[in-house]
Amino acid sequence: MRSNSGKRIKALELWAAKLRRNVVDICMQRGGYAGQGVALADVGACIFFDEMREDGKGWYHDRFVNSNGHDTIINYAAMAELGIYSMAELRTMGADGSAIDQSPIEWARGFEITSGSLGTGVSQAAGIALGERKRGSDKRVICLLSDGELHEGSVWEAFMFAAHYALSNFIVIIDNNDLGATGKTSDVMAVAPVREKMEAFGFHARQINGNSIPEVLGAFEEARTLPGKPYAMIADTKIFAGIDVYQDAIPFAHFVGKDGRWDTGRLEWELGWNEILATIERLETELAALD
Amino acid sequence: MLLARDERTLQSSAFDAISFELCSRRKDVIMMSADLSQYVDLFRVCAELPEQYVEVGMAEQNLVGVAAGLAKAGYVPVATTFGSYASRRCFDQMVICMGTSKNTGIVLAFTPGISSPAPIHHQGTEDLGMLRAVPNATVIDPMDVTDLAQALEVACETPGLVYMRGHRGTTPRMLDPETFKFELGKTYPLRNGGGVGVIACGHATQWAVEAADVLVERGVDHSLLHVPTIKPVHKEEIIDYCLAHEQIVTVENHQISTGLGGLVSEIIASVGRGPRITRIGVPDRWAPGGSIGHIRKHFGLDAATLATRIEALMQ
Repeated sequence: MRSNSGKRIKALELWAAKLRRNVVDICMQRGGYAGQGVALADVGACIFFDEMREDGKGWYHDRFVNSNGHDTIINYAAMAELGIYSMAELRTMGADGSAIDQSPIEWARGFEITSGSLGTGVSQAAGIALGERKRGSDKRVICLLSDGELHEGSVWEAFMFAAHYALSNFIVIIDNNDLGATGKTSDVMAVAPVREKMEAFGFHARQINGNSIPEVLGAFEEARTLPGKPYAMIADTKIFAGIDVYQDAIPFAHFVGKDGRWDTGRLEWELGWNEILATIERLETELAALD
Repeated sequence: MLLARDERTLQSSAFDAISFELCSRRKDVIMMSADLSQYVDLFRVCAELPEQYVEVGMAEQNLVGVAAGLAKAGYVPVATTFGSYASRRCFDQMVICMGTSKNTGIVLAFTPGISSPAPIHHQGTEDLGMLRAVPNATVIDPMDVTDLAQALEVACETPGLVYMRGHRGTTPRMLDPETFKFELGKTYPLRNGGGVGVIACGHATQWAVEAADVLVERGVDHSLLHVPTIKPVHKEEIIDYCLAHEQIVTVENHQISTGLGGLVSEIIASVGRGPRITRIGVPDRWAPGGSIGHIRKHFGLDAATLATRIEALMQ
């Protein structure tokens, strides 16, 4: 059992705030998948700065497969903090000639797979988990996918496979943000009830508030201790969670343009940027007070 | 002589021994199947080397995705299924999960083209063209079990997506393992001569050898080139061969567009001169079901008709 101290939580809240800052910083240059990235900051902070064990060589012992290309902005945001990418590089995302792809290709630094064709990551992550087990490795494999990817039939093939092979080193995190490319997932093609479906497919499954760091940590803790089956963390996340001034500015924002627009609304980049900087300053003060 | 004329013996379930020998020697190789193991001659690996066999059930997208994942964990996966399913049901996974990776990912497609007795749905006659269009992919159509075994060995050392066609059931061993050495991209003259140059790959090289026997009886000057690697092929060898003949015929177990005939035509078109090229294979139509003999006859691919079609080009 890892310590669930206030300091650990506060430190992760600070990491999450920095990830939100980096996501907004990247997206305000030429637009991007800002709402998803901001919503994933808490899950991302827990993955990159708590759950995954380091390999002592500047990377991780455990493996993180992000199946959803749109959500990989959270990888970039985290890798900026790790020094794998500079913010100057990341700010070129979306520009002609940029080496930074919004949905990265496998050869990009720090990525396990090519993630732009939705649904194809889960099978690969399950294959990695089986392979690591065959090698006698204790590596754990975390696969992040979106609720929209549950529309793809192949993810259910992969879930069946993971349960059949009892891949207890395999965790899927379903970013349950109710957001598809053209509207709410629940309107486009309903996927609920996700937890019950995952249990029926042979997973340990828990639905949590994906914007609560203690709940994310609790689910990871449970995943490490429950035996014999793969684990599904259904993380309910809210688009733009953690930035008050963006709340409800753009319902269902799949992609926010440089001008802050999407079909369903508009936000002011500067307002959110200022709020995040203030949040970071507050959290740094609060964290220092805990020392 | 690359052809072992006296040893053109039939072998049953050759891939069973090929896969078992490979997995016994290389513990990093994993055979995989989508509920078709016994239909692709996978027996001994499943029974005797279960750690090197992964079953995924009837799910080809997952077959290729999991294979790509195993590759990312340090293994060399050989994903086996029928060619129709491999090419049609999981093309995206082949391109994205294997094709953009530096890790070796092998898809081994059995009963390719019209070698399946079940019509259309089991007859993958477009696969070579589809896979040939994928950047950096390797595409191999071996002519017999010697070719298959050696090509698979090379495939295991080739980065990225390798799409290969397989041979199952009772199938001839035509190449002499003592003199034939598979090299990626290399072309192999099986018969030397002038007149008509016949270029073939895969099962169709067997048909072309049969037709060549008839042409010898009829005294028709010809030669025969086997091209097992569809991509990347040694283009200069194709050019030299074609320019040495008055007429070129391509014969393939595939639609006549996009496959071997397409490949040779594209290469010669880039030269700007050369012989006329006649493409023989599945002529942009659905094939019927039935025995391979029946289907070959239907399309004029049986030895006698094929020989006549080739001979007619010189008149």
